[in-house]
Amino acid sequence: MRPGISFLILAVAAEQLSCGVSLGQESGISGQAIYAKQCASCHGKQGDGTKSHPQPLAGERSVAQLTRLIQETMPEGQPGTLSGEEAKAVSAYVFDAYYSASAREKNAPPRIDLVRLTVPQFRNAVADIVAGFKGNVGWSTERGLKGEYFKSRNYRKEDLVLERVDPVIDFDWGTEPPGMGIDAKQFGVRHKGSIRPTVTGEYQFIVRTEHATRLFVNDTRTPLIDAWVKSGSDTEYTGSLFLVGGRIYPIRLEMSKAKQGVDDSNKKEQKAKPAAPAMLHLEWIPPKGTRQTVPDRCLSIHGSPEQLVISTPFPPDDRSLGWERGSSISKGWYQSVTQATLEAATWVGEHADDLAGTKADAGDRKKKLGNFCKQFAERAWRRPLEPVEEKFLIDTVFGMQADAQTGVQRVVLATLQSPAFLYQGAGKAESQSAVAERLAWTLWDSIPDQDLAKACAENRLKTEEQIRKQAERMLADPKGQAKLMGFFRHWLKLDQGADLSKDLKKFPGFDAGLVSSLRESLELQVQKVVFGPKADFRQLFSEETVLVDDRMAAFYGTALPAPSGFHAAFLNSGQRGGILTHPYLLAHLAYNEETSPIHRGVFIAKSLLGVGMKPPEAVAPIAPDLHPSLTTRERVLLQTQPSACTSCHAIVNPLGFALEGYDAVGRPRATDRGKPITTAGDYLARDGKTHTFSGPKELSNFLGQSPEAHDAFIKHLFHHLVQQPERAFGKTVPEDLRAVFQADQFDIRKLAITIASCTAAVNRDVAVKGPVEKGKAP
Amino acid sequence: MTHSSPAYNRRELMARLGVGAALLPFVTNLPGVSRAVDGGGAVQRKRRLVVIFTPNGIVPKDFWPDAEGPLDKLKACLDPLTPFKDQLLTLHGVCDKVRGDGDAHMRGMGCLLTGVELFPGNVQGGSDTPAGWAKGHSIDQEIKNHLQGNAATRTRFGSLEFGVMVPERADTWTRMVYTGANKPVAPVDSPYQMFNKLYGQGKDRAAVVSVLDGVAKDLKTLTNKLGTEDRRLLEEHAELVREMEKEIKDQQAQEGKKVGHPVPQLEPGVRVDNDQMPKLSKMQMDLMVASMLADFARVFTFQYTNSVGMARMRWLGITEGHHELSHEPDSNTTAMDKLVKINNWFSGQIAYLLKRLKDTPEPGGPGTMLDNTQIVWTNELGKGSSHTLDDIPFVLMGGGLDWKMGRALKYKKVPHNRLLMALAHGFGDEVKTFGNASYCSGGPLTGLKG
Repeated sequence: MRPGISFLILAVAAEQLSCGVSLGQESGISGQAIYAKQCASCHGKQGDGTKSHPQPLAGERSVAQLTRLIQETMPEGQPGTLSGEEAKAVSAYVFDAYYSASAREKNAPPRIDLVRLTVPQFRNAVADIVAGFKGNVGWSTERGLKGEYFKSRNYRKEDLVLERVDPVIDFDWGTEPPGMGIDAKQFGVRHKGSIRPTVTGEYQFIVRTEHATRLFVNDTRTPLIDAWVKSGSDTEYTGSLFLVGGRIYPIRLEMSKAKQGVDDSNKKEQKAKPAAPAMLHLEWIPPKGTRQTVPDRCLSIHGSPEQLVISTPFPPDDRSLGWERGSSISKGWYQSVTQATLEAATWVGEHADDLAGTKADAGDRKKKLGNFCKQFAERAWRRPLEPVEEKFLIDTVFGMQADAQTGVQRVVLATLQSPAFLYQGAGKAESQSAVAERLAWTLWDSIPDQDLAKACAENRLKTEEQIRKQAERMLADPKGQAKLMGFFRHWLKLDQGADLSKDLKKFPGFDAGLVSSLRESLELQVQKVVFGPKADFRQLFSEETVLVDDRMAAFYGTALPAPSGFHAAFLNSGQRGGILTHPYLLAHLAYNEETSPIHRGVFIAKSLLGVGMKPPEAVAPIAPDLHPSLTTRERVLLQTQPSACTSCHAIVNPLGFALEGYDAVGRPRATDRGKPITTAGDYLARDGKTHTFSGPKELSNFLGQSPEAHDAFIKHLFHHLVQQPERAFGKTVPEDLRAVFQADQFDIRKLAITIASCTAAVNRDVAVKGPVEKGKAP
Repeated sequence: MTHSSPAYNRRELMARLGVGAALLPFVTNLPGVSRAVDGGGAVQRKRRLVVIFTPNGIVPKDFWPDAEGPLDKLKACLDPLTPFKDQLLTLHGVCDKVRGDGDAHMRGMGCLLTGVELFPGNVQGGSDTPAGWAKGHSIDQEIKNHLQGNAATRTRFGSLEFGVMVPERADTWTRMVYTGANKPVAPVDSPYQMFNKLYGQGKDRAAVVSVLDGVAKDLKTLTNKLGTEDRRLLEEHAELVREMEKEIKDQQAQEGKKVGHPVPQLEPGVRVDNDQMPKLSKMQMDLMVASMLADFARVFTFQYTNSVGMARMRWLGITEGHHELSHEPDSNTTAMDKLVKINNWFSGQIAYLLKRLKDTPEPGGPGTMLDNTQIVWTNELGKGSSHTLDDIPFVLMGGGLDWKMGRALKYKKVPHNRLLMALAHGFGDEVKTFGNASYCSGGPLTGLKG
């Protein structure tokens, strides 16, 4: 049997193994006594802080790390007065009593909270309720759009002369025809397929052509851009719309070339004239992005049904714990929900006949719309309706309206405003459908699809194996990919790059376009690993090549292996160790002109190694020109010399220093201010061992292998997926997952599947009513 | 050059369809609506403009009064307007002089309210060179911008564009209103769409209120199932529901006072369909009068079909399309009779509007609504069979601009730009030129004030 398929089993095993660390007793020195005498006045009797030192004693450091910290910085004002043994004893006591996660859990056990849908979950769920009426859409491997070329300006079937797949729409035909058998003076081109944007937000589409054009995105009837009447000399047309990332929308681009603004009364003269030039470009500006040709990776040649897009703006979800969760509500949120449900009701009302498979004048229209309402509510609530609910929704809310369309709209409003829609698993009896729902929130940020519903109906979501199998399918689905990539976007700060800019005198060419290429490059690089054959976490830190496009190639001075798109290349003769040395992260974690070992070190410590740190003292960084002879490394050491700083900077600085061999835009460098760069760094690990590394590759290698990095990664991923505290599912969940991750060869996808299937199996009905009781899982 | 998609920006479209809820703040911050009465000082009386368009030219001999001067008996085309004879001013001799690309129907429509040429383009008419959209904004939008620029005359919409049976096709023949060069505005020809635009927010509010009781009940049921830690969230939620309900009800009460008239009831299920034209026309007229009462806008356009309009007025016993009939020569008296009947029917529709306005006292002001409304009835052609842009039928009605009514005026081929300028000046918008400046010499058309 696979290790750790159920938390329950492992929890028992791990509890048996745990031997209760109590270093203090071994040496005969009482850590508790030292604490009471020397520490409690500031840190509080229960480690919960005092007025002067409100920060509670809580964190992720090990006893060894704490010991060093205490020795070097405590007690305040007189560090070093405790003997090594005393420091060890007091840190062991603090660790067990207040500081460690398990101590904290003992003191206030985390629980599975009732949560509302997050904003992405709301948007996805509403869209998927509707999508459920139209059938599933996959994302095939054929990139680009299907191009149809006609020899007339209209799209008459008999005039179709050429069909082909165009990866991108980026054509300058000039006065030439776009293909054989087409007259350059008059032709029509139509591109069809689907588009899948990666992130959620406002997309501006741009079509460039000298001729008549029309662009349909999502809405297949009303064009987003309508320049079908060619008028004047405009050659550029724009239209914006809000799209939810990771979803698939139909797209159609039409272009028609004809004689324009010419007096054609003299046919002979016309014939002699050369054709006017023609181009056709489809570009976009994604949210926070820069203008670019719509890339082929976002296009598919297959059609898809129109989606219901909720474009109502929402206040952001709570992120106070570092991950999004629906733990609080506010007036702003409720107003947005109201507006969004109205938006949905309007859309569904307009499309009701189509969705319900009926027509305005059909005799059984009312019956079909009533059935549609019932299905809509059951999908929205993720469960069958109780008879009394059905009676209310269908007989009263729907049935009492004079006009059936208004009735549908009222049902949509009532359904989506209900807590049965807005809260995860709210009040739902424990069942296979509850498991299905949890899988869907975890892996899709959405509701279960038809496949899951069918599995429940056929009693096929019962065993661990069955649940896991569904989770595997779901992660491979475009929605699963979108959610997992969303995690990496957050983890690697790809969602923060909009403000990234550099001193253009020092780094000419580091413009918004380059930044967007860098961001995309890192995202694609991660995607390559995560959805590659092994999905090995360590691979994230070992890849020596970087995905490079033309902009990056030009800036970093590397030959581009192929003309367009991203290609793996050795950037500046290698010296890269995966994501950590990707120029996006290196540049993002740096100042305008100078590097910042502190930013880089904090990122490694916090995000990659999971070291908890208190916010820094408010100190302005020392300006480089105050000490023009100092290297960045020397300047940082000078700055962080005070003992108040060392508790964190003793960890942060040596990590960041290992990356000093890259400048503020991520280019390798050998010297800083004329002095050779030292890239030596070290890290005192939880096991008490000091790891030293010289340079980025050794650091990357350490990170790929470090159990602390694994723990941190698991924790971040868990929170992103499940949006509940890890330990609410069992005291030993982190240890269990680490063991599984290791046994699975650090396969990221398998980890996500394990997290999803194990948490989905935990009975929330129990959890919702009170603290989790172990042993009640199904 | 860059411009947004002319007719169909999705957001605009949604706003137009009255999906205001999705875009406009739902409860708070209604769009800055300032009522005309702004406290101190002399309050100017409310004045409105209505431009009504009917297509395909007219039958001159059965339309124009024979002599200049006080109106006597009206000809057959205008006969239904007889009860409002003293509120009528016919302007003969006003010509659309704008030339350039596009056939006469295209220019007749695209230059009618803009007074400026069309861009070269790809819309190919029956003759002449193909063309695109007009190169400038239309006079109704000019006046709207002027009124919206002043807090005392600002209204929720500024202008409303009504249509009756306008084909679902955006081209030079179907658009006469432009917010700017290459920016035509589509008229709303579904009364239901227009209703949503006007009253959608109120409808949305009513819909929300109707489901809140159920929501509150569901919240209570669920709360009882939960442990104390989780109840807090749902209790907060229930409180927000109560607040929302109260706010909406307060707002409804306030709006009831502001609108000052009951929301019109539309007959449900009337299809936008040729044979329903009489019904649609009346529904749209009623909505227009209602929006005047509510002071939703001061500028209105009302477009029947389109340039080259194809209405088949079977309810008059006419089975041919309007446009094909209009091509018949004067010698075809059967066709001429039918054309007279068609124009007579249009007059009847306008008479209905005039009657509604005359029967309605101006809210908060002197006289009737007709006394404060300037109506302009016009057409893209002078005469269908010749496609002339001379002697464009301009019939002015109502007292909105205090012009001297009850007369027939004859001009000697004056460019219609000058009439457009006179309209702007009438609203205090003293434009120096409008459209193509070379047709504006002489300034606003004179003789209107008597």
